[in-house]
Amino acid sequence: MAALRSSASRLLGAAASRPALRAAVTPAAVRGMATVTDGQQQHQAASGEKTNLKTFQIYRWNPDTPTEKPRMQSYTLDLNKTGPMVLDALIRIKNELDPTLTFRRSCREGICGSCAMNINGTNTLACLCRIPAESNADMKIYPLPHTFVVKDLVPDLTQFYKQYKSIKPYLQRDTPAEDGKEYRQTKADRKKLDGLYECILCACCSTSCPSYWWNSEEYLGPAILLQSYRWLVDSRDERTAERKDALNNSMSLYRCHTILNCTRTCPKGLNPGLAIAEIKKSMAF
Amino acid sequence: MIAQRVGTTALRRVAGKPNAFFTANVAKLGLAQSLSTTQIRPVATQKLSPADGAALLAKQRLNRPVSPHLEIYDKQQTWFGGSAWQRITGATFSGGLYVFATAYLAAPLIGWHLESASLAAAFGALPFAAKGALKFLAAWPFAFHAINGVRHLAFDMAVGFHRQTIIKTGWYIWGASVVSGLYLAFFL
Amino acid sequence: MASIARSSLLRQVASARPAFQQSAIRAAAFHTTARRQLLPPLPLNDAAPVPPTSPSHGSYHWTLDRLVAASLIPLTVAPFAAGSLNPTLDAVLCATILIHSHTGFQNIIVDYVPKKRMPGVRKLFIWGLNAATAVVGLALYEFETTDVGITETIKRVWTA
Repeated sequence: MAALRSSASRLLGAAASRPALRAAVTPAAVRGMATVTDGQQQHQAASGEKTNLKTFQIYRWNPDTPTEKPRMQSYTLDLNKTGPMVLDALIRIKNELDPTLTFRRSCREGICGSCAMNINGTNTLACLCRIPAESNADMKIYPLPHTFVVKDLVPDLTQFYKQYKSIKPYLQRDTPAEDGKEYRQTKADRKKLDGLYECILCACCSTSCPSYWWNSEEYLGPAILLQSYRWLVDSRDERTAERKDALNNSMSLYRCHTILNCTRTCPKGLNPGLAIAEIKKSMAF
Repeated sequence: MIAQRVGTTALRRVAGKPNAFFTANVAKLGLAQSLSTTQIRPVATQKLSPADGAALLAKQRLNRPVSPHLEIYDKQQTWFGGSAWQRITGATFSGGLYVFATAYLAAPLIGWHLESASLAAAFGALPFAAKGALKFLAAWPFAFHAINGVRHLAFDMAVGFHRQTIIKTGWYIWGASVVSGLYLAFFL
Repeated sequence: MASIARSSLLRQVASARPAFQQSAIRAAAFHTTARRQLLPPLPLNDAAPVPPTSPSHGSYHWTLDRLVAASLIPLTVAPFAAGSLNPTLDAVLCATILIHSHTGFQNIIVDYVPKKRMPGVRKLFIWGLNAATAVVGLALYEFETTDVGITETIKRVWTA
């Protein structure tokens, strides 16, 4: 994919006036300064056009210079020339101000979960988070809280994925389908999966959970428990008892203390807190 | 993205030589790019066995910092979280109970008087303001723990999980606990 | 996942730094916790281990916790409604509060003193808590049998 895109843009890029080339030129002049401002703003102000400046403070850490402490770097953009979402701003910063800024992104429409990060104190997807135009306050952007930082806004989610694998996130059954074709389900049973199957595993909820901050090596965290519940309530799955047994210990499930940061932060509007409560309820006694 | 990165690296190299920046090399670069179909990667790479790769990764991981958490997360959720204060108030009360009970057991040996009569007498001797303040200091956490405890029991029965309900009740417990704390301290 | 590994490996090879390892502590200054032990063990693609089933630390414990907490509601409301509690109910209230406190402290220890990272400290805390609860149980028994009872004491102090 990446190779395809790069060759395409190279072919397009023959024209000297293309934006990417400008992007390549600008940072050479300004890289290394603590504050980088929008290159065009002065010209605009001079010509009387309105500018709507917004400063983004972004967490930076470079693995190539591990002796340097993580720091916050400020970038100022003109919102009138930037898309509405935080991801648009980040991409513009990367394209035009500082190509060393590193973050994950893919779909830019909230379905891949790559651009999960902490924006103004709450975990969310940068592509679904509007830049608040009404306030002049700086936006603060951090990687997902209490994760190991690979670089800048890229967290190491290894443990998260390992935990996801540990709950066996696939249909487990022994009896073959009655008609030999598909496992049928009533409409009511299917409805139980609504609000669960939509989870994109962006890790916003898990990394918002203080319990997960302190005990991520053993506690599964909201996202994985929501997925766990998704398989527990699936009427087609036949390993419900084993799945429950796997959660029935002091750490995996019961480190949840209904803090509910998870439900409040979920960028997809799902309810991991409720899913966990349902698991606990079904396992009581 | 990758194409741009390659472009910038190339430009940076060129920029090492003074002032041969805009004029000559940009045009050359564009020309070279449009003619060539192979990607230029100015980064030296080498093949790694999986074991070497794992070793390198393990080394790399030791350097990774932990991203900031409590200090940057939404203050309303970290500082005013009902769950956190449930724990703080509960631990304060239980800790007080444990300390008092142990002291009560040891009192005859040390010569303290912690019987109810002497406690009441000692408390009664305090000025009104001190009494009220102490009572509120005990009554507010009690009220908070009781009210939020009921909220948590409701959560455990899978009730009240709407996002707006969580936010609203999260504020109600503060109001309700302060009001009941004041009532218990001064009107009871 | 693979992409993380790859990019960092490339970078490693591209710039081999001799003074690479000693820097971890200095780089950690931005935050407060340094949890090097938490790094999930390699290989990367193995599932996290599933702990053995133990309902007494899981579902039974949780259910008992909730039942005790729920039973505290009527026991707390009763003295406000009736003016005081009879000695039996007062003793029941004491016992319930003691269990509630004990499981609460247990939860705190399990949360903040992880077994994996500090098994010795965990053991010390758990047994310390058990001992403390036993002492407090004895003290409360003394208090209930020789003094006027917990609700009555609070009432007298409150109205003093």
